[in-house]
Amino acid sequence: DKRLSSCLSFVHCFKKVEWGKKMTSRGQLKAALHYTVSCMCQRVAEQHQREFNRQLVAAITETAYRQCDIFAKDLEAFARHGKRSTVSTEDVKLLARRSTALVSFVHIQNKLEVLTQEQKDKKKSAGKKKSKDTEDSTQ
Amino acid sequence: MFLFQETVGKLLSSFFKEDKTKLGGDAVLLMAEMLKVFVQEAAMRTLKQAESEDCDQVDIEHFEKILPQLYDFGLGDFA
Repeated sequence: DKRLSSCLSFVHCFKKVEWGKKMTSRGQLKAALHYTVSCMCQRVAEQHQREFNRQLVAAITETAYRQCDIFAKDLEAFARHGKRSTVSTEDVKLLARRSTALVSFVHIQNKLEVLTQEQKDKKKSAGKKKSKDTEDSTQ
Repeated sequence: MFLFQETVGKLLSSFFKEDKTKLGGDAVLLMAEMLKVFVQEAAMRTLKQAESEDCDQVDIEHFEKILPQLYDFGLGDFA
């Protein structure tokens, strides 16, 4: 689809140019989200030798965008419940707990936690407590 | 994917009700992963729906049919 590819390259250029400035407008954020979603959709479509309709990609973007709204409101409430003003990984875990379809996410989450803990361990050589934590999360 | 994390961070912060709420660095990483899984799940389910109907073109009507399945993700009342 020529129009789609030209649209994508436009968004790509636009992102590179505009990224230095602060992206505050929701329209711009949505455009950035749309770019990533269309990349993911294209990858899935290519793997299965199918084509994704432009309208469909836009619909998935819209769903993801509204999902973000719900996620953000939940995360904020969780953080406030924990008497914090910063959303932590614990809040994200609580959010993921509700998603039964996210079985694969559990693996991803564990992997990521191990990765981030490893990064922290490298930074702080005296991290005996943290290596214990990674062991717990992999179990 | 670094840019995507930045997008997710800004997107989530823009939805917070209170300005003083902030996002931790690791939380952004996980949320980016979560959204990626969400989009891939939506795309795959739509594709399977199209395959079951023997359609080469994956269309928005296939997505409409699988949209209720995304309730599993804790989708709110909009769908």
